[in-house]
Amino acid sequence: MTSVDLEPTDAGRHIPAKSPARWVRRNLFRTWYDSSITIGFGVLFAWVLVGIVRFLLTADYTILRRNLALFMLGSFPRDQLHRPAAALLMIALATGLAAGALTAHRREIAAVTGVGYQSSRVIDVVRRFWPVVLLVVVLLALTETITPSLIVVGALGLGLIGVWAGRRIRARFRRLAWAALLVLPFLVYFMLAGFGGVGWRGWGGLHLNLFVTVAGVLLAFPLGLVLALGRKSSLPAVRTLSVAYIEFVRGVPLITLLLMGVFAIGFFLPAGVRPGTVTRVLIAITVFESAYIAEVVRGGLQAVPKGQVEAAQALGMTPWSIMRRIVLPQALRATIPAMVGQFISLFKDTTLVGVVGLPEVLSVAQDVNTQPDFVAQGLERLTLPFAALIFWVGSYTMSREARRLERKLGVGER
Amino acid sequence: MTTEVARNRPPFWRDLRVLRIVLQLLALVGAGVLAYVIWFNLTNNLRAQGIRTDFGFLDQPIGVQIPDSALSRNATVRQAFLVGIKNTLALVVVGLPLLTIIGVVVGVARLSTNWLAAKAAGLFVELLRNLPPLLIIVFVFRAVILQLPPSRAPITPFGWLVISNLRITVPGFEAHDGYPAFQVLMGIALLVVVGAWWWRTRLSDRTGVAHHRVLWSVGLFVSIGVVGFLILDRPFGLSRPSLDGRIVTGGFSGLGGYFAVLIALVIYTASHVAEIVRGSLQAVPKGQTEAAHALALSGFQRLRFVMLPQAMRIALPPVINQYLNFTKNTSLALAVGYAEITTLAFQSIGNGQPAPQVIAMLMLIYLFFSLTISLLVNLVNRRLQVVTR
Amino acid sequence: MTAPTPLADATHAKGAEIIVLEGVDKYFGDFQALRDINMRVGRQEVVVVIGPSGGGKSTLIRCINRLEKHDRGRIVIDGIELTDDIKNIQEVRRETGMVFQQFNLFPHVTVLENVTLAPRQVRRMPKKDAEELAMAMLRRVKIPEQARKHPGQLSGGQQQRVAIARALAMQPKILLFDEPTSALDPEMIKEVLDVMEELAASGITMIVVTHEMGFARAVADRVVFMADGEIVEVGTPEHFFRSPEEARTKQFLAQIL
Repeated sequence: MTSVDLEPTDAGRHIPAKSPARWVRRNLFRTWYDSSITIGFGVLFAWVLVGIVRFLLTADYTILRRNLALFMLGSFPRDQLHRPAAALLMIALATGLAAGALTAHRREIAAVTGVGYQSSRVIDVVRRFWPVVLLVVVLLALTETITPSLIVVGALGLGLIGVWAGRRIRARFRRLAWAALLVLPFLVYFMLAGFGGVGWRGWGGLHLNLFVTVAGVLLAFPLGLVLALGRKSSLPAVRTLSVAYIEFVRGVPLITLLLMGVFAIGFFLPAGVRPGTVTRVLIAITVFESAYIAEVVRGGLQAVPKGQVEAAQALGMTPWSIMRRIVLPQALRATIPAMVGQFISLFKDTTLVGVVGLPEVLSVAQDVNTQPDFVAQGLERLTLPFAALIFWVGSYTMSREARRLERKLGVGER
Repeated sequence: MTTEVARNRPPFWRDLRVLRIVLQLLALVGAGVLAYVIWFNLTNNLRAQGIRTDFGFLDQPIGVQIPDSALSRNATVRQAFLVGIKNTLALVVVGLPLLTIIGVVVGVARLSTNWLAAKAAGLFVELLRNLPPLLIIVFVFRAVILQLPPSRAPITPFGWLVISNLRITVPGFEAHDGYPAFQVLMGIALLVVVGAWWWRTRLSDRTGVAHHRVLWSVGLFVSIGVVGFLILDRPFGLSRPSLDGRIVTGGFSGLGGYFAVLIALVIYTASHVAEIVRGSLQAVPKGQTEAAHALALSGFQRLRFVMLPQAMRIALPPVINQYLNFTKNTSLALAVGYAEITTLAFQSIGNGQPAPQVIAMLMLIYLFFSLTISLLVNLVNRRLQVVTR
Repeated sequence: MTAPTPLADATHAKGAEIIVLEGVDKYFGDFQALRDINMRVGRQEVVVVIGPSGGGKSTLIRCINRLEKHDRGRIVIDGIELTDDIKNIQEVRRETGMVFQQFNLFPHVTVLENVTLAPRQVRRMPKKDAEELAMAMLRRVKIPEQARKHPGQLSGGQQQRVAIARALAMQPKILLFDEPTSALDPEMIKEVLDVMEELAASGITMIVVTHEMGFARAVADRVVFMADGEIVEVGTPEHFFRSPEEARTKQFLAQIL
């Protein structure tokens, strides 16, 4: 029967052969069983591929074109669109700066340790992020004016400038640069909401999904850290409380917490406090994420060898100092891949907020089909895959980067 | 010089033992105060709005007709929730075995030497893993199920299925006369099988002959089954769904929503399981295969005695975690209106039942499922622990 | 039980008492790891503790800096008694330094930062002074050129010497060694033992748990043999290796020598 090849660790490394014909024979037609599978799958693939291509070529994309702003930004007022544009440019610049500073940092380390370092060329970066490039191209193809394309080009330009500038930041200021990155979400928020802008009650579309994800992780992280430390505490009462919280929240589906937040949280608060829906959703998501982040941090804490703590104790350091300088730096670095995984998970879970009434991307994809021009035409077959593309690109890219990071962190010292 | 030693107890604010107790008391008091404040607010606010604060709502009428159940609009909330639990279990009981099989097959296929099979499996996994489960459910429901023929004009492919956008009916199980006798017979067959297993094992231990106990057991069971089937004159059979105007009788029937959620969650969770299976097979240290080779074990023996047991140990905890995720994700049926517990909770609240209690009850039900599965994980983990020094 | 030789109970001729253990017991659950330990160590004395695995040697020195808590008896370090008083514990830990079998260097900072961390955080030394002190210590263990590297880039022997420098930077009165060479490749053991010999000669009080008999013979003022949680025999190296008295001592020495 088709054998299971357990030795190669990269999926896809198959039996090498001297010529294409031999390769085909070895990998596709080794035995009669093999051949029948090849033929079966081949036919299936061809049929599906032809069907999809035919659909894509003949579909009417008007529903997407006309509602693109709805998908991306919800009902953001047309006259305020310069705000998201400015925010995008700001993010591009900041990302460029961060990437540049990271490159310079890595180069310095390589100089000291003697390990080689090669900077990546633009073409390599493009190849690495091809899903994002694909998505941007698709989105721009659906736009009806030239402005979005100009903004994207502007963002790219600013990003490159940022990389150039980031490489030149002196080492002393680099710590500041990383701290600035944390301030970025707040800056973006002010850009969008400050001075008569649109607060988060008016946000929708992909923008809302991203906001809920970032805000959720930022708010949940401190709480999750406290819970993780509580779970490892030697004081039984503290440990029990932490475990109870974590196991309770992890045992229920997110939707129940969202329902609780939207329908019931008003009752738990003092009379007269009536938070808006987005606030309620944020509270529910913070509670939810904090339990999962607590588990991620716990994993990181466990990765720090006990001997480290003992050595620090033997040196006379206080428990607080030990935690701050020895345990947490190592623990948190160890959690980065898992934290990215949690971020991706939350990003996908933001689709649930559509169920409780917020206009996030998936619910937009469903609602546009009720518009009078598009009713009952089965256009869900177009809008839902479009929403799926957005999520797929985000999730796939982030998990690939997380895996790269994991490999880098595992091998190197820094 | 003699050593001067302080014999007194240290001041309490520096005494480790005192501090431990004080800190814990603080934590407990803090949590207690928080809980009290919330409780106080809750009862006050509910009372102020004239909403009941107890669990008496369970005896109120549900006010909604639940499809596929014997309940009327006046059935109590409690009865409705029992039906909801049954519906959730219908998803879980059918879904978990299905996703396991598909997940294992796809995971193993990913490592196949057939390039197409490996690529196909890879595509399946990378596509589905990165999508939100809710999106898959909504897609399957709206873009597939709802596109099926309307319920007033269903199609009947092969004469054995009845398919519409509301309901899908497949051939089902039907017991005829003689089924109870058949059950008794198969019970006896089970005992025979156990005996055969034991006998073949003893024989093999004593004489070194290959025991083939699986072959013997299965063979005996099937033979007895076939003989029984013939003697008792077909004690069970397939019930063929038949269409009578708009009513479908016979067969096993499920609502469109049920199938949407089932298919979507099965393929989504299976994609995760496939990754786990692949990872665990590759995680068995290479030295193990080499040692097995050195011991002259055949390919099948290597797989059975060395690779699979170790791969299973690695894979089992994350797979059971996926089972947990599947169970929790059934709550997403809310988006397609399938009447499992979350949908029913949502509808109850819409009909005026007190939200805090309804949702609290909902959470407790899921907690119960989760804790049961977690306990299972711990039991399995403990048994499978590779004993170390 | 108190060892029969007078040297175990009395202070050494070199200096006054700095470590006192009286009637110390330690349990791990039902298992008794230390039984009625009575020991006194004088200033500038070098005590080497030997014995079979699981005999309580590591537990003994870990009780001295409170990495383990003793269940019964008294432990007094330089006049400070080890109790539940946090202040006492911190003081004792400032005055004692420990070198571990697994080095336990902090991998996320450089060698120099490893050595300066405690002086800066615990003794509140200014950065410049701490770095000068650290470089002096690194010179003492003969690896000043590795200061800017990370521990992961050093060999085992070099890492252990950094660990010694790190302990020395706190200028402790007592140095505790928990099998410092057991995790090293044979060719690196000598460089660490050389450093330890030089430290002993410089007059610092040392308690060393080790299997390196050569080191014990060359450097120890007293050798203590522990088995099954109790001190079986104590003596000078000459007495110990040439004419041990207890049966268990003889048996152990026969196995390893």
